[in-house]
Amino acid sequence: MNINGLITRNLKKNLKNYYLYVFALVFSAALYFAFVTLQYDPAMDEAAGSIKGAAAIRTASILLIAIVAVFLLYANSIFVKRRSKEIGLLQLIGMTKGQIFKLLSVENLLLYFSSLIIGLFVGFAASKLVAMILFKVTGVDEVASLSFSSQALVQTLVVFILIYLCILAVNGLFIKRQNILSLFRVVGTREEKGKRISIWEVLIGLLGIILIVTGYFVSSKLFGGDFTSMNELFAAMAFILASVIIGTYLFYKGSVRFLFHLVRKQKNGYLTVKDVLSLSSIMFRMRSNALMLTVITTLSALAIGLLSLSYISYYSAEKSAQQQVPNDFVVPNDQDAAKLKQAFNAETIVYEEKRIEVVQAEVNTSDILSTELDETTFDADKMQMPVISDKSIKGMNLSPDDTLFSGYVDMLSKVMPLEDSGSIELLGKTETIPQNYIGLERDFLLPYTFTSGGLPTAVVDDTVFNRLKQDADPALQNDSSLYIGLDVTDESQLDKANDLFSKVFNNPAFSSVQLSQVQTAEIQKQNMGLVMFIVGFLGLTFLVTSGCILYFKQMDESEEERGSYTVLRKLGFTRGDLLQGIRIKQLFSFGIPLVIGLLHSYFAVKSGWFFFGGDLFTPMLIVMILYTLLYSIFGILSVLYSKKVIKDAL
Amino acid sequence: MSMLTAAKLRKSYGNKFNRQEVLKGIDINVEKGEFVSIMGASGSGKTTLLNVLSSIDQASQGTIWIDGHEMTAMKEKKLAEFRKHHLGFIFQDYNLLDTLTVKENILLPLTIAKTGKKEATDRFNIIADELGIYEIRDKYPNEISGGQKQRTSAARAFIHEPSMIFADEPTGALDSKSASDLLNKLTSLNEKRTATIMMVTHDPNAASFGSRVIFIKDGQMYTQLNKGDQSRQAFFQDIMKTQGVLSGVQHEH
Repeated sequence: MNINGLITRNLKKNLKNYYLYVFALVFSAALYFAFVTLQYDPAMDEAAGSIKGAAAIRTASILLIAIVAVFLLYANSIFVKRRSKEIGLLQLIGMTKGQIFKLLSVENLLLYFSSLIIGLFVGFAASKLVAMILFKVTGVDEVASLSFSSQALVQTLVVFILIYLCILAVNGLFIKRQNILSLFRVVGTREEKGKRISIWEVLIGLLGIILIVTGYFVSSKLFGGDFTSMNELFAAMAFILASVIIGTYLFYKGSVRFLFHLVRKQKNGYLTVKDVLSLSSIMFRMRSNALMLTVITTLSALAIGLLSLSYISYYSAEKSAQQQVPNDFVVPNDQDAAKLKQAFNAETIVYEEKRIEVVQAEVNTSDILSTELDETTFDADKMQMPVISDKSIKGMNLSPDDTLFSGYVDMLSKVMPLEDSGSIELLGKTETIPQNYIGLERDFLLPYTFTSGGLPTAVVDDTVFNRLKQDADPALQNDSSLYIGLDVTDESQLDKANDLFSKVFNNPAFSSVQLSQVQTAEIQKQNMGLVMFIVGFLGLTFLVTSGCILYFKQMDESEEERGSYTVLRKLGFTRGDLLQGIRIKQLFSFGIPLVIGLLHSYFAVKSGWFFFGGDLFTPMLIVMILYTLLYSIFGILSVLYSKKVIKDAL
Repeated sequence: MSMLTAAKLRKSYGNKFNRQEVLKGIDINVEKGEFVSIMGASGSGKTTLLNVLSSIDQASQGTIWIDGHEMTAMKEKKLAEFRKHHLGFIFQDYNLLDTLTVKENILLPLTIAKTGKKEATDRFNIIADELGIYEIRDKYPNEISGGQKQRTSAARAFIHEPSMIFADEPTGALDSKSASDLLNKLTSLNEKRTATIMMVTHDPNAASFGSRVIFIKDGQMYTQLNKGDQSRQAFFQDIMKTQGVLSGVQHEH
């Protein structure tokens, strides 16, 4: 048989073994091509919107290359290592390293590029679907069409050829560095087994858990007011990152083994077959894969965290639009109000008008601010707030000594929490009016243009309001001291009203003078939709690639443990017995990185979610559950593979 | 009372067109408490015979009874169950699990039989003491010698007091000192516990530790030797002679 014959034979056999490698290749190529096609799609202009959006997509496509490249290199190295015996044998019978390299390269070439071509077809077909999803989440009314972009094709081909060259280089190095003996040994030396646990490992294990818990603890305090200056905040964040990541590494290096050791010790040698296949095997393997598992855990935490945050923002777009624009429409002056009202009357849209007189004043809040703030970043003695009269709100009547705050956005209320009561001072230009602060209401009364972006509105008695109005500092006042809001009474007319609003004020979407609640929500959805789409795309890629890597690892382990399966089956354990053990093992192998990743992202999201929106649990849980479901597919695949190995073991 | 009976045992590999007959109708009877060795040249089918008798491999034809159970009528699951409770195994390459300590390896068969922890520990102490491996109970297989590994493997085979123990070239990978050490232990266990042992070997010295030797040639029983009252040395000479006749090569012992 000549080399060509060898290549075709190897290919035939490998295809069966490496179907997942092929799948991974097809998947990465398809994903990348779909993404790049999208990038060059003319219909994208609206979705991407600004230069920022286009930049985000370009950055994402570079990140995508990085993920795909690392993944393909890793997958390739697993498969080359698995064939090291064969390589050794070929060397033994007199093939030169160059010939072996050629053999592997041609084999790889055929496998790689046929997968790539399939991937391109799949990606092209999928690009329409992907575009449809993007338009859906950003709320853009474009019909997704199947458009072929030769630019995208060339870019994809170039990227994948470069990755192929990298793979060749790595393979070449691997073959060059090995001699015949070490090739035979490679499988044996990769993992240590059967070593007893040392005091050192116990310490490392404990340290890992302590570091992670410390990181979590500090993260829960991050925005609680303990860290006030920017420098402290950055130091705290760096500390959290370092302690959690190092902790994770040590956790895999020692803690898992240490915990399982405790369980095992307690059993005093009396291990059932389930324990044998799960506990004892994981104890040794986690340790040797510590670095890989740390990377996977950290990146999945990152993916889940970013996805959760962007989804939180997307999910609460309507709620935050309500906070920013409390009425359906906001107009700055009587002129604009008249124009809009005229248009509404012509179309018989019923509406209600709300007028509130507003005075901007400085308020001394140092007594009711729960935290000490850094003087340079914020001056609690002179906080500029909008003040309105209690007459402006139906059914509210305050005594002349009392002030009520209303509508404080979540983000600021987390960073600068207020006491429930206390004394404050309203500062006019000349006089100072001391007041009792009696509490905070949740209602948002004024749009963000009046509230310096989210500070509460102070509601005072009418007499106090008039005093303050006389004494107002002109330098603080807005162009208009009158807030005019319009509410459409009949919800079903809201869409029509919005159309009219757009028509009356040309392109008001980007104005900050005339505001529409619906449009504000849409803009936020569009921005966050794009971010979410990109993060989701990267997250999905990462999920699939890390899932595949773990699966490859498990495949390898199953093959290595084939001997144990044979022994156990000879001893009289049924396939079912073994499978139970394997299920538990996979539950741990896949479950531990997943649970740790979820925990990391939970604490990360929890420490800063309020910057992104108003809802924490619903959007975060949805993201986490979806991630877990997709991820567990790979666990199930691993169990199925082991099942096959067990069946063949006897 | 006979522990194992096999009648007209046949085993063949391959398909209709290319059939290789390995066992060609073998009848065997082993009494309770016997220590039987099976000898034969490479390729004579002795390991296949052991695999078939011990239910690891399926016979093509014929019937096998062990301890009154008809093995050839059992389905895979029941066979596994039977192996678990009634059979013990010792292999040439030890077949210990690398990730378990000596003690855990030995206790493995007891865990399925739902033996209590206390009793399991007691049994372990006795058998480990007899085989001289109590001291190394917390070591992992890669920390102990080949002889110790094989004794661990033997302890695992004996601990659940099976009706029958199958040993496939147990001394094959051991030096002669460790080998006779192990065989002495096996003989004493055989006597003390009236355990029935069937051992495949190509080493006449190992075979001489048993009470009977069966010679296999080309998938058929060639002859058998009984030790009777003679000394082990005399029995060894007999075996050597028979083997010489069998293979046509005279050993120079």
